[in-house]
Amino acid sequence: MLKIQEIREIIKLIDQTGIEEFKYKTEEGEIKLKKGGAFQVVESAPAVQAPAVAAPAPAAPVAQPAPVAKEEPKQQEAAPAAVSQDENLLEVKSPMVGTFYQSPSPDAAPFVAVGDKVKPDSVVCIVEAMKLFNEIEAETSGEIAQILVEDGQLVEYGQPLFLVKPE
Amino acid sequence: MELKVKDKESLLRRLMVAGGEPVSGQMLADEAGVSRTAVWKWVRELEEDGYTVRSVRKKGYVLEASPDRLSPALIRQHLKDDRFVKDIIHYESVGSTMPLAHREAQNGAPDGTVIVAEEQTEGRGRLARPWSSAAGKGIWMSVILKPDIPPHRAPQFTLIAAVAICLAIRETAEVEARIKWPNDLLVGRRKVTGILTELQADPDRVQAIIIGTGINVNQELDDFPAELADIATSVRIEAGQQVDRAALAAAVLTNLGKYSRLYIEEGFTPIKELWEKNSDTIGRKVNAVMMREKVTGTAIGITEDGVLEIRTEDGGIRGIYSADIEPAE
Repeated sequence: MLKIQEIREIIKLIDQTGIEEFKYKTEEGEIKLKKGGAFQVVESAPAVQAPAVAAPAPAAPVAQPAPVAKEEPKQQEAAPAAVSQDENLLEVKSPMVGTFYQSPSPDAAPFVAVGDKVKPDSVVCIVEAMKLFNEIEAETSGEIAQILVEDGQLVEYGQPLFLVKPE
Repeated sequence: MELKVKDKESLLRRLMVAGGEPVSGQMLADEAGVSRTAVWKWVRELEEDGYTVRSVRKKGYVLEASPDRLSPALIRQHLKDDRFVKDIIHYESVGSTMPLAHREAQNGAPDGTVIVAEEQTEGRGRLARPWSSAAGKGIWMSVILKPDIPPHRAPQFTLIAAVAICLAIRETAEVEARIKWPNDLLVGRRKVTGILTELQADPDRVQAIIIGTGINVNQELDDFPAELADIATSVRIEAGQQVDRAALAAAVLTNLGKYSRLYIEEGFTPIKELWEKNSDTIGRKVNAVMMREKVTGTAIGITEDGVLEIRTEDGGIRGIYSADIEPAE
């Protein structure tokens, strides 16, 4: 089955093309990636909160075949409604797997709140993994319309974190 | 390497390379195109900087002793491999080397630029926690790396830095430092080094990785503030003798260059092996304390991404991306 690294590469490649849907199937399992509105790794299960990581054994959790079909509708529901309702909102996505922090330190105020104006270089949050702190910038000018994740939540590669109403 | 003498710094390098043999003042003057008096003035300046230079009649100058400093010349003297290190920018006292390194990186400083200070007055760790950085006692240093990788390959650099410094401490001082996941260095249960890694990145490309190191080198027990007495240690305390800070800094920089190159060229597997071999965490029963929960279990290894794997009591395996690890026993 594919390694997580390889899946990431695939996601990245697909993201740069017009391909809407990608399926990869072997005896061990199936991976299905789907674009549109919110960018999703459809098979990634509720593991978003606490992803079990591949044991030394070959079966990576992302490769378990069973949940694929079941999880899909759920994930679709969970997708932020605002995306389909308002095509003009832009997503700020996580560039890596890690923990989402809305403020620079536990006692500090959040970087941004809904309604705040941001510029492309405004820091909107930190995503941290293995103690590497990545300050995420808005990359666009506009107003924070929605915060899609909670403080301390584990986020996936490519997961939308904010919706920004562009100026 | 260019060794032509043209100023005080290059004169120092020349005397260092001579390895205790006298270097003729007349020869130095000719090479630099200055008078012998000008060379003598440089020597006087070096003495003011703390070097001991002996003048041997009719033979020349001999460098007899160097000060306990992290000056560029002293660090370079110990570098086993100078492919990685570019500029070394040395300060007497700064707030913190981290913001200085960020500014240098943004202003175009190349991969391998080093900012080092004798003293930090506002040394800090993760989450803006203060870091005790007394004058002349440690290696308070930030290193700029500019690898051509996407951001999701950057977190592994915290583990690379831990391996680089852990092995440098062993090579230089024969002190058995071990790594607590992901990147604290301990001797026994006391912290000897903290590493703070920060990133400048576009959504798809790393601009710069800044690795900040606080290595406790020559503190003695009473040099630490009271609240750190039970949790901090230094290489000197563990080795039982004074340690050459410049030699240790050079070993750290050599290893950082070596292991980041290894990661870029061969991936994380060789780093994972070195990390696990020198780990304090693997095999221990630990609590992984996160913002929203605490996971207890036995640390069994790290993944190909550096994620810590914990086997919980129900037999499941949890992958930990972000947590403070503490002993559970």
